[in-house]
Amino acid sequence: MRVTRPRIRVRHPATAVVLLLVVLLAMPQALSTYWIDVLTAVAIYSVVALGLGLLMGRVGLVSLGQIAVLALGAWVAARLDFATSIPFPLVLLIAGTITMVLGTLVGLPALRLSGLYLALITLMLAGAITVVLTTTNFPNGGPGFLGHTESSFGNPAVRRPGIAGSDAAYFRYTVIVAALMFTLVFWHVHSRPGRAWAAIRQSEPAALAAGVNITTYKLWAWALASFVTGVAGGLLAGSVGKLYTYQFPTRDSIILLAVVLMGGIYNLWGAVVAGALMKLLPALLDNWGLPPDLLIILFGAGVLQVLLTAPGGLAGQVPKDLARLGQRLATLSGRRAPEGEAP
Amino acid sequence: MMEVAGLTVRFGGVTPLDGMTVTFDSGTCGLIGPNGAGKTTFFNVLSGFVRPLRGNVRALGDDLLAMPHYKRARWGLRRTFQTEQAIEELSVADNVALAHEHSRQGSRASRRADVRSALAFVGLEVAPHAKVETLGARDRRLVEIARAVVGRPRVVLLDEPAAGLPDEETEHVGRVIRGIPEHTGALVVLVDHDMSLVSACCDTTAVLDFGKLIAAGPTAEVLRDENVVRAYLGTEPVS
Amino acid sequence: MPSWQDFQPFIVTGLALGGVYSLSGVGMVVLYRTTGVLNLAFGAVGAMGAFIAWSLINTLGWPAALAYLACVGFGAAISLLYGMLTGPSLAGRDPLVKAAATIGLALMLLGAMSWIWSDKARSMVLPTTNWQYSVGEVQINWTQIIALALGVFVTLATAAFLRRTGLGTAMRALANDREITAALGVPVRRVEATTWLVSGALAGGAGLLLSNLVGLDAATLTFLVISSLAAALIARLRSLVVTLLAGVVIGLVNAMATPIFSISSYRDMTPFVLAAVALLFLARHQQISFARRSR
Repeated sequence: MRVTRPRIRVRHPATAVVLLLVVLLAMPQALSTYWIDVLTAVAIYSVVALGLGLLMGRVGLVSLGQIAVLALGAWVAARLDFATSIPFPLVLLIAGTITMVLGTLVGLPALRLSGLYLALITLMLAGAITVVLTTTNFPNGGPGFLGHTESSFGNPAVRRPGIAGSDAAYFRYTVIVAALMFTLVFWHVHSRPGRAWAAIRQSEPAALAAGVNITTYKLWAWALASFVTGVAGGLLAGSVGKLYTYQFPTRDSIILLAVVLMGGIYNLWGAVVAGALMKLLPALLDNWGLPPDLLIILFGAGVLQVLLTAPGGLAGQVPKDLARLGQRLATLSGRRAPEGEAP
Repeated sequence: MMEVAGLTVRFGGVTPLDGMTVTFDSGTCGLIGPNGAGKTTFFNVLSGFVRPLRGNVRALGDDLLAMPHYKRARWGLRRTFQTEQAIEELSVADNVALAHEHSRQGSRASRRADVRSALAFVGLEVAPHAKVETLGARDRRLVEIARAVVGRPRVVLLDEPAAGLPDEETEHVGRVIRGIPEHTGALVVLVDHDMSLVSACCDTTAVLDFGKLIAAGPTAEVLRDENVVRAYLGTEPVS
Repeated sequence: MPSWQDFQPFIVTGLALGGVYSLSGVGMVVLYRTTGVLNLAFGAVGAMGAFIAWSLINTLGWPAALAYLACVGFGAAISLLYGMLTGPSLAGRDPLVKAAATIGLALMLLGAMSWIWSDKARSMVLPTTNWQYSVGEVQINWTQIIALALGVFVTLATAAFLRRTGLGTAMRALANDREITAALGVPVRRVEATTWLVSGALAGGAGLLLSNLVGLDAATLTFLVISSLAAALIARLRSLVVTLLAGVVIGLVNAMATPIFSISSYRDMTPFVLAAVALLFLARHQQISFARRSR
């Protein structure tokens, strides 16, 4: 399977940091609460897209159930938050860890399946989780293990960290945590696990012959993706305050797949693009009075375009139009010359 | 030394290996045979991709088949593939180091030195951080061979390492292969259809046909053996 | 524990639903074996066909029978169109890529349905639903009978067709190896086109029946494909008869859990759990995947 180099590359970390600072400082001042909430969602779903992009782009595994994983993370975070007074960063960490453990337990038998069957089993398990959640609901301050009470009055919201109570402050908090998740994944990709994943993705026999324990490294990627998605779930819990099953429809897992494919699964910025496609575009369309259903059609077309034109499967090239946009942005930041086509 | 005893592989009504029994002594040994004789299947058994029905393989005193496949590389089993499998998006150095870093031998510095010496040994004059996807066929083959010889390999399996290369490159590959046992102390098994390459590199050669051993011994003798000729030509011996 | 009598109406609905699951399950299996495409857009295709039929009847005043034909025809046409447009580009690719592409189709259809018809509550009642009669204590309507009967009939007919006719043999040859089949002079494109057409028609029919048995709602109908998928997976995407049996079992278990209050709210998990178990069972003997570039 041919794998081509990423076309969008952040060569200088300084560019990334500058962009980050701009986002952190300037944006909340200039925007209304509605848009701050939208951008918070973009940040959160970028992390989810990061997890899926890691699985698809780095190891060649497809999961159609990441939204269910997100829901799990949110559930754990909410439960912890209501039942204890553990500080929020620790809640995020625990939510991520528990999600990671659950994800690994699922991965152990499931990762023996190849491509299509793995994707299908994640779809099935996600569906099962969604059904369970419909019945157990999310914690809302109630009693018992499930922490859910039927009454809909006077239920508390998930408590946010002390320093980030306001929406603007929580947005900055979310961006920082998201940046940490991106850094975590970036670090993985550029050290031994990343090299092992590159070998696995191109040729499992060659990887095996080189002594790479394929099962371990696939599980590692799976665990990492589950961890960041669990943390994203915790961030989501803090953001919306009250969690309901309808916030995690099965349809979203499919849409996530579409936007991750369109955003480009090969590099980390693609995850940000994916988050924006998923959460910013619908809000923009809504603002302009256009039906959001058109977006779904667009995403479907996007999936087809990526898959029909990519030369070698899911871990192929970044789609040409979005890649050029990214290149133009990178050139504008003045730090890199436009790159020619890869051979 | 590697001893193969009664190795049999069967799947789906086909028996690619049928009681293969042979001993590979030190140095470079050839393994030849007509298409479908079972040579690549044999390598696949050694690599752990295929489970044999019967038989065992003892290499340097260790039972190879008892080890899980990814541990065999750590033990010192290395292999190249018929269709070259250098990992494109990694650099040359990372490719060569792939086996090495998963075998946890020595420190990072010593591994880097090993990679450099392996690259020098195969005569690859490309910058170590160049991405493999920018290299041509000959260099990619050399990267694969370098990966097979880095560090302390014990058994090196080469599956048509010069396939698709023009004659001068093949000669270079031949020279490299001849030097492997001395440079690393490893046993080399070379599978190829190019008889001149086999004659040039291998002191001894074994011949497979229909999964069975039909000849083994010094290369020159084996290549003249009438059973071998008949197996390749598929005709009655010319009197 | 509810009594036998309490179960009876659910047995009926379960069998009917099971019949429909088998109907699209069989279509999926045959399509997969012939083209390597696991069509996850099956539900969406059927749903859109049902919506089109609804509009034809309620907005344009078409006679019902013609509208139903249009639904089936739509299913056939859009499947054929999709198959022919994407077939060449995706021909040699991994089944995962082919299935992922059908997700693209499903999204496009979902979006279109949402846009054109929005989420208003609608119902489509087939005339056969009004023809009811009682068996013992239970009411059965003809739609349910047709659902089950059609499921059984299509399964057996398809199995026989694949075994006895020239076209059927060609399909089985394609399932085995596309290149060799083409080299033998079999008109591969034509056989594939026929498969898309027929499986699409089955999807349309299933959509029509489901819209009546379950309701005319885009998202629900689209994701009911998972139950058919579960049946197909339990049959390891191979045996048509097992698909039929699995589909019926899924429908039955799902429906019969309804009166058992302790597990009732979890009954929708049935197809998911059964499919997951079937998949894990399939995985027991997996070796590492060798060729990334085969069909």
